[in-house]
Amino acid sequence: MASSCSQALRHHVCKSSRILRVHLQKAWPNRSFVLNPAADQQPAVSSPEEIVIPKKKTWSKEAVLQALASTVNRDPTASDYRFQDDPYLTPKTSSEFKLFSLSQESGRNAAKYFISTYPKYFQKDYAQPHIPCLMPETLEAQLEEVSEAALIERIQMRKVKAAVDLYDQLQQAGTPVSLDVTNQLLDLICFYGDCDPAQENVPEQRNEETVGQENKLSHNKRSPCLVFSFRENNNAERVFALLSEPNTHSYSALIRGMVKYGAYSKAFSTYTDLLNNQLKADVSTFNALITAAPEVKEKYNEKWELIVDLLKQMAEQKVKPNLLTLNAVLKALRRCGTVGKSQAFPVISEMRALSIDPSLASYNHLLSIFYKPGHKGQTDILQEVMNEVSGKSFTPQDPDDAQFFITAVRICLDTKDIEQAYRVHELLGVGENWRLLGNDFQQNIYHARFFSLLCMMENIDVVLKWYRDLVPSVYYPSSNVMRDLLQALDTDNRLDLIPQIWKDLKQLGHGNRQTLVEELLTLMAREKQNQEVQETFAECALDIKKMYDTGDRGKVMMSWTAGSLSDLVSVLLAAQRRQDAWEILKLFKTHNRVPSEELLDKFLTCIKESGDVNQALELVQISAGFCLPGTPKLIQRVQQEFLLSEQQK
Amino acid sequence: MYRRLLININQVRNRLIHTHNTRLTLPSTKCKERESFAPVAWAPCTSRPLGTSSISFSENKESSTSLSEDKGKTPEETEVNAEVNTDGQRNTEMNEGTEISNATLTSQLETEPVVKPEDRKQVEKTKSGKESLLELLGAMKVEVTTVRKIRPSKTPRMSERPDQEPMESTHSMFQRATAEGSQQHGTLNPELVAAVSAAASTLPNRHQAESELLKQLRKHEAIPDTQRRADIGHIISDMKVGKRPNGRSNVRPTSQIRFDDDGKGYTQDRGITSELDGKVFCPTLWDIDLANQIVQATNQMPRNGFEEMIQWTKEGRLWQYPINNEAGLEEEASVPFHEHVFLEKHLDESFPQQGPVRHFMELVITGLAKNHHLTVQQKKEHIDWFRDYFRQKEDVLKEAEAYLN
Repeated sequence: MASSCSQALRHHVCKSSRILRVHLQKAWPNRSFVLNPAADQQPAVSSPEEIVIPKKKTWSKEAVLQALASTVNRDPTASDYRFQDDPYLTPKTSSEFKLFSLSQESGRNAAKYFISTYPKYFQKDYAQPHIPCLMPETLEAQLEEVSEAALIERIQMRKVKAAVDLYDQLQQAGTPVSLDVTNQLLDLICFYGDCDPAQENVPEQRNEETVGQENKLSHNKRSPCLVFSFRENNNAERVFALLSEPNTHSYSALIRGMVKYGAYSKAFSTYTDLLNNQLKADVSTFNALITAAPEVKEKYNEKWELIVDLLKQMAEQKVKPNLLTLNAVLKALRRCGTVGKSQAFPVISEMRALSIDPSLASYNHLLSIFYKPGHKGQTDILQEVMNEVSGKSFTPQDPDDAQFFITAVRICLDTKDIEQAYRVHELLGVGENWRLLGNDFQQNIYHARFFSLLCMMENIDVVLKWYRDLVPSVYYPSSNVMRDLLQALDTDNRLDLIPQIWKDLKQLGHGNRQTLVEELLTLMAREKQNQEVQETFAECALDIKKMYDTGDRGKVMMSWTAGSLSDLVSVLLAAQRRQDAWEILKLFKTHNRVPSEELLDKFLTCIKESGDVNQALELVQISAGFCLPGTPKLIQRVQQEFLLSEQQK
Repeated sequence: MYRRLLININQVRNRLIHTHNTRLTLPSTKCKERESFAPVAWAPCTSRPLGTSSISFSENKESSTSLSEDKGKTPEETEVNAEVNTDGQRNTEMNEGTEISNATLTSQLETEPVVKPEDRKQVEKTKSGKESLLELLGAMKVEVTTVRKIRPSKTPRMSERPDQEPMESTHSMFQRATAEGSQQHGTLNPELVAAVSAAASTLPNRHQAESELLKQLRKHEAIPDTQRRADIGHIISDMKVGKRPNGRSNVRPTSQIRFDDDGKGYTQDRGITSELDGKVFCPTLWDIDLANQIVQATNQMPRNGFEEMIQWTKEGRLWQYPINNEAGLEEEASVPFHEHVFLEKHLDESFPQQGPVRHFMELVITGLAKNHHLTVQQKKEHIDWFRDYFRQKEDVLKEAEAYLN
């Protein structure tokens, strides 16, 4: 970072302040921290009497840092910022990247865990002023007595079991617990499904898991413990039943808990209960119910009718829907088949009428409704969506927001629409949108799709430009993507770049992918290039051979095939490296592979050029050793083309 | 007797002021002489760095001449005192008239230690008369020299001294100041000293009064001094420290939960919950969870050092980058400037409307109005201290007809 930063800063400082100002003015409107356009206000020059008093500028406390941060561009030659502390730990492959970032995160978590577990050793407060977030958190309950305060404390610490026990004790003692606190308790129980929450110190790993399951439908991923949590007479229902007059909040907690833990029909019956008690539901309850709607009905039409019914009840009860309602409806429509396609746009326009701006998650659902994986949809929907969103900076508002980019780029890949892909990528650069690309895993998917599309659609120069920009600073391509790249090289006839790509391949850890390496060798052996290129090919081929020989410990060793060996030999022969080629030829025997006749023929031609009679004879002997059917032909050629002594004959 | 004495003193003082004025331009030789001894006096006095101002001299003199309470004085100090005394004497010799009129008093002063307690009060009065005279003479003379001379040598010393007191409430400092013995200080404005003497001269125990008043003033010189040296970070930190004492609180405030429960950058999404904050309920577990999910789903990794600093700022780990001139003034942010500058309204109720006390207080508020290191609250406390002080001395002041209402 240091270098790029200082460069950027120097760059700015060198310019005169006027230019700087102009520059910043250009940059500012794009940024979210500018609360009003006061920065650009100039005194009005319309009439001398009129004095325009500029509005007071309100800056956030990070404004200076944000302005500074905006001067730093991404350095395509540097690795990710989090690895810049220690050059030794600069990841070179995607597995290293994963390993290092996870270990960094888990190191932090371990430290946090120790601080929280043994707070007595971390009491010294060095910071001036006091920094609360560096101090250990209290994990043990401080209040021991049976009281409402103690209950509140346990609720705040999210100790489900302890809180429920305390509540029972309070009930037995006859101490009344206020409705508010009981609702909080209910929230807690329902949120954690009546289990104590697991230690929340592995956020990175959890990310990976959730993303891994992303493609499965979300309702399938309940862990077994949670599925059974809404069994009959669990604590949530028991506490709820003890309430003399449950209010909206109590019902809301119960319904949301039921929906979260898969008790969908129960949620709807609780909702009926709520209506019978002459209460109104709140917006989050409706959101939960809309999410649950597709689960309780079988047919597409019925699902949709239920959702419409719920929306009507919202209107009746004068509950204002929010963005999450919109997204829940659209998400439910994804599972309504053809109904979804007809209803998606009316829903969005309805929400516009309620002045709710769709977030990226809404567009993501919209795209998913119209483009099912494997089917070719109408391309114009993506185009329309892109017209709508391009140039806008989005703030994260919905957990599904982070899905938009990978969905959009998937559709581009499916429809081979490079133009839209560029627009998607451009949108990613606007404002803070890069945050919405999601975690490392999603970033990888996005870049893989984008790059594959480039390899497929663009000419090689453009591809290489992107390649240099993305690899390896933000993206570590998989072997499949690298094969796409090789194919792109092949189509555009730029095979001379192969040695360079091989170096990258080796660094990216794909040096031992047999299929990839064989493809590389085939490409090199296929055509005869000019002398210079052949030389580099030969170097590269020998390097590949080394890869076969050494083979890192723990990694899968590559085994020679006849094809790869003959490709290797022909590459070396083309570069006039007869001696090296001869060595390789011997490998056929040691690895029990059989060379083809054409190869030996080619070899013989090469020997003839140098006129080495003995080697020609050896070649014949080798050929005879393999019992090749072409041996007599080879003998004949040798006899014709070489001057042989009697003995040799 | 007392009355006559006062008149006497007043005359003397008036005359003195004249001589003082003339002398200001006069004695360059004397200055040199002083220069030679000044370093000697400096070196050994560690516990009480001999105030370069007139005041500490006068104090010393007071204590040595009066009840000789502090025996523990170093010989150097007494030497200095002797010098001062002789200086003072020399000065008094110049004013022959007063010398003669006070001759009797001097003899009385010498016999003072053996005076019986029942006579004490009267003795004190007389003593104060005489002493104040000497005092003033000495003080004024030293002023002339010290202001010019010793100051340069003082400054490095001041900077050497560690910041022993980060900002406390000034109020407690006042209290301590009165409790403690004399203190070391920077020079005070001679005008101010004169005003103090004037106010104090109305009191029977005028030395004590004067020194108390001066101490109070000097305190205020001292506080801004420490503040000035502390950089802005210290000011901020001190303010915070003052507000909430260190040590971790066992019960987490409710607002903190939202911050702690998700490792990183949760505050970013406060936009969602902040709307709810304003309403009746605080964010429930569900809202927290939603925000948490959003944070988990999005990429929160900083891309460069500045973004990391932004993250730290949000987490409260990093000192806030100043974005305007009011950085670190959270405490005073809501206080308009006129509260700082127009302090007369605080003088109205319980201070005399005219006379020396009023004059003194007007100078005090002028000084406070210009002091940008104190908060309004501290300024009020300062004035309140004087209010209490003068109220305590009210009967004495009334007797001296200095408390005019």
